[in-house]
Amino acid sequence: MTGLEHYNYWIVIALMMSGLYALIARGNLIRKLIGLNIFQASVFLLYISVGFVRDGAAPILAPGVDSYSNPLPHVLILTAIVVGVATTALGLALAVRIHGAYGTIDDDQLDRQRD
Amino acid sequence: MMEELIDVLLLAALLLVALQVIGSRGLVAAIMTFGAFSLVCAGLFVTLDAVDVAFTEAAVGAGVATLLMLAALQRCGGESEAAPRVHWGALVVVLGVGGLLVWGTLDLPPVGEADNPAHQHVAPRYLEQSGVEIGIPNVVTSVLASYRGFDTLGEVVVIFTAGLGVWLLLSSRRREEGE
Amino acid sequence: MILEHAQVLVVALPLLAVPVCALLPSRRWPGQFATLVAWAVLGFAVLLMAGVAEQGVLRYQLGGWAPPWGIEYRLDAMAALVQLLLALIAAVVFPYAARSLADEVDDGRVGGIFAALLLLLTGLLGIVATGDAFNVFVFLEISSLSGYALIAMGRRRRALVASFRYLIMGTVGATFFLIGLGLLYALTGTLNMDDLATRMPPLSASPTAQTALVFIVAGIGLKAAVFPLHQWLPDAYAEAPPAVAAFMAATATKVALYVLARFLFGVFGLEQLLEVPALQSALQGLAVAGMLAGSLLAMRAMDIGRILALSSVAQVGYILLGFALFSTAGLAAGLVHLFNHALMKAALFLALGAIVHRVGSGDLSRLEGVAHAMPWTMAAFMMGALSLIGVPLTAGFVGKWYLILAVVEQGQWWLVMAMLVASILSVVYLWRIVEVLYRRPAVLPARHEAPALLLLPTLLLAVANLVMGMHATPLVEWSMRASASLLGAGS
Repeated sequence: MTGLEHYNYWIVIALMMSGLYALIARGNLIRKLIGLNIFQASVFLLYISVGFVRDGAAPILAPGVDSYSNPLPHVLILTAIVVGVATTALGLALAVRIHGAYGTIDDDQLDRQRD
Repeated sequence: MMEELIDVLLLAALLLVALQVIGSRGLVAAIMTFGAFSLVCAGLFVTLDAVDVAFTEAAVGAGVATLLMLAALQRCGGESEAAPRVHWGALVVVLGVGGLLVWGTLDLPPVGEADNPAHQHVAPRYLEQSGVEIGIPNVVTSVLASYRGFDTLGEVVVIFTAGLGVWLLLSSRRREEGE
Repeated sequence: MILEHAQVLVVALPLLAVPVCALLPSRRWPGQFATLVAWAVLGFAVLLMAGVAEQGVLRYQLGGWAPPWGIEYRLDAMAALVQLLLALIAAVVFPYAARSLADEVDDGRVGGIFAALLLLLTGLLGIVATGDAFNVFVFLEISSLSGYALIAMGRRRRALVASFRYLIMGTVGATFFLIGLGLLYALTGTLNMDDLATRMPPLSASPTAQTALVFIVAGIGLKAAVFPLHQWLPDAYAEAPPAVAAFMAATATKVALYVLARFLFGVFGLEQLLEVPALQSALQGLAVAGMLAGSLLAMRAMDIGRILALSSVAQVGYILLGFALFSTAGLAAGLVHLFNHALMKAALFLALGAIVHRVGSGDLSRLEGVAHAMPWTMAAFMMGALSLIGVPLTAGFVGKWYLILAVVEQGQWWLVMAMLVASILSVVYLWRIVEVLYRRPAVLPARHEAPALLLLPTLLLAVANLVMGMHATPLVEWSMRASASLLGAGS
């Protein structure tokens, strides 16, 4: 093989880390949630890459096909995507309430208001 | 080979879009670019044979999540934010975690080989037997609905929990603003 | 018939009760209904404990699919102990919450709040019940999301910020766990924990397996508030409504520690743990750092809720130290302290809730002399505090005693020293509270004891601290048994 065997993994790791960076470094709460979403989506890519079989078909049984990609990671990630969006929704609702209570959704400014 | 080329290009594009999201000025731009990120993700899932996941990512990631973010932003008044600065602490954390992960994937079996351990133990049963045991061609659906149906139940409960949480939070909003 | 399915019913019952609870009208009914559910769960937990005592590991195939293809429920001695703890705490805290939470929020939301409390219980019970690693993630998120929502219900607006920060950190933790799980799956092709345990040993030298271990420990360590991943905890528990703080402090971090022990010893196993360079010293170092840092921070805090929360960081350190000894005696001591710490922290937070109920604040500067107005509440608080310090004849002593024995067994005297220093610090920060609460003149002029519904559960837990201190043998023996079977299975 070429040097591509681990290419998927490494790009996925770079993606994860860019999401993680955004969620730590940026002060805006919605930005943090965007970073979190990128982080999670990259983990989904990790799972799907693990499940991929070259020259295999999508795991929908069809006559004459004998090589499929692994369906199990797909199942897990379907669940994880839904869990992710549920978390995002709750986080956004919190951000809206925080804006109502403090008049800002910037983390640094929240710290400046003592109570 | 064609498949791999598309995979390589899409992944590279995805990384560019992700960096674009992080570096973008203005929250509306960031959210819209994030929607594009989810769409490219969905495209990658298709090339990696995960069609169900691609469909869900496009609908839920690019659709629902993006809309929710825009709606929340609107209620937060679309305030301006501080210009991004390099956050050295975050950079150190990210490089450390990323470095560990790169080391940890070095001896992972290559992507796409049919004899990888992940494809050996549990998955073959689903592919070989689910047609008989469950009787529908889509193996992902079979596993989701029966073999691992309990996860799916949990997933429904997660949505319900989030819905309940959002309702608990937003139903009292008027009271607070009146103070 | 019922017994056969008790393993599932114990999780399904609170779940099925959720929609009913959410729709119940009136201010009182949801809390009373949730209490009944918690008592029924306790009944099942006791039945299951007896079942495990008799038959060893109980297994149940969900949907009739055999593991590793289907998801399996699996209850061993350690899981049964934590399940019983969850049920006990719920059975005592829910009636208290029925009064205190219902008084704190506006009418329309009472049903929803108790529904969230039941979801939290469901999630935690589900984590303990399952034998499938990915199923742990799903139920972890159920418990987490309901936890974030409940913390945000605190009286002050700071509760919203605390909840948001916890949501971000908690989700990062859960995602780290997911990364670790993905790596394990890529190596082994399975998600069933027992199946993983049989497939891991030949892979113990693999960097991927070691990386997976680090990610799982870090992810779960975040949920367990292991130092230095504890930053979310002080705000979250100090801002949450006291009944919620009592329930979460006694259960959520405990379940995370349970998952940690399950993965360390029941999935990876001792051989693998010793293969990772410096893992043991790192865990011991973090445990000691947590014990000291938590106690030192607690000495400077002004809010009783925050002091109790920071002391939890220290106590998590003790429990982790027990685990990090990598010995049967150490793990058993950790489990004993895990159980007993839940009792003392729940008692303390409930007493605090009773005080806040009367005075409207948990800030030390506003609580001078409260003890004179609320002698019974204060007696319960003192009992919890003595237990937290580890005074003989209290529950807190037992765990620390067995922990010291386990440490001495390995000849690590510096760890004994660290434990003693942390205990002395806990005397200091608890004395600050007691001194202020007994100081004259009092903020409340006359006798003003908490309502009976708040007082009774608080006193019950205070007495439990005494009972578990004087009759420690059953818990110690059960923990030894749990520890021996877990470590035996791992090697």
